[in-house]
Amino acid sequence: MSERAHRVVDIAATLESIDVVQTEFDAWWTALGEEKVATRFAFETAVVEIAANIVEHTHRAEGTAGRRFCLELDATDAEVTAVFTDNGMPAVIDLSKVTMADIDDENGRGLALAVAALDSLDYRHVDGRNIWTLVCRR
Amino acid sequence: MTSIDVREADGGVVLAPAGRLTVVTAPQLRGAVAERITAGDKIIVVDLSGTDFVDSSGLGALVSCLKSARQAGGDLRIVAPTEQVSMVLRMTNLDRILQPRASIDDALRG
Repeated sequence: MSERAHRVVDIAATLESIDVVQTEFDAWWTALGEEKVATRFAFETAVVEIAANIVEHTHRAEGTAGRRFCLELDATDAEVTAVFTDNGMPAVIDLSKVTMADIDDENGRGLALAVAALDSLDYRHVDGRNIWTLVCRR
Repeated sequence: MTSIDVREADGGVVLAPAGRLTVVTAPQLRGAVAERITAGDKIIVVDLSGTDFVDSSGLGALVSCLKSARQAGGDLRIVAPTEQVSMVLRMTNLDRILQPRASIDDALRG
């Protein structure tokens, strides 16, 4: 794996962190040189949705003071991967039961969008940490 | 950060959010549309030609603004979504209620 294919963002879990994640994603993707915009849009959409989910969950459950999350972006010739790690409260989520909100609903599309955009989305709570793993084939 | 250009037009108002319309910036769009509805505008056109990226919160803001506009006896119409925006509209089925109009003039005329 080339050096440029790996990028780490470690940041306080605030609303503004989502903008930082997106700016870092943009730099990482540009360095990758991947030309398939459909893959970029799908992967970026999922990364932003999971980042927002972590920030909102952290904020709702315990407030944002002192809470951080880490995003690691990686790429191989076959796939792009994002791993989010945070030390917040465990999320109560069954990804197999996530469905898209009705068209009149104003909320409830984030995780469904991420699931639909990715080839795989996995959530685990391990050793006190939440770990989200996002994969898109290139 | 998103900036929203607001332009009075014959038949309504055109709002053009630039950059990313996400959980960070969606409240700005809600606020701008609410202001125009309060001011009496009936037809709200959201020009998405300069909107690079929309997330689920941005979509939620569009749905909320559409409902508000209709409750006030008007409508909200979108124009020129970029590629990522079209993708998420399709994936969420929101392209059924937010069908892009061919042009700003077309959207203003209904």
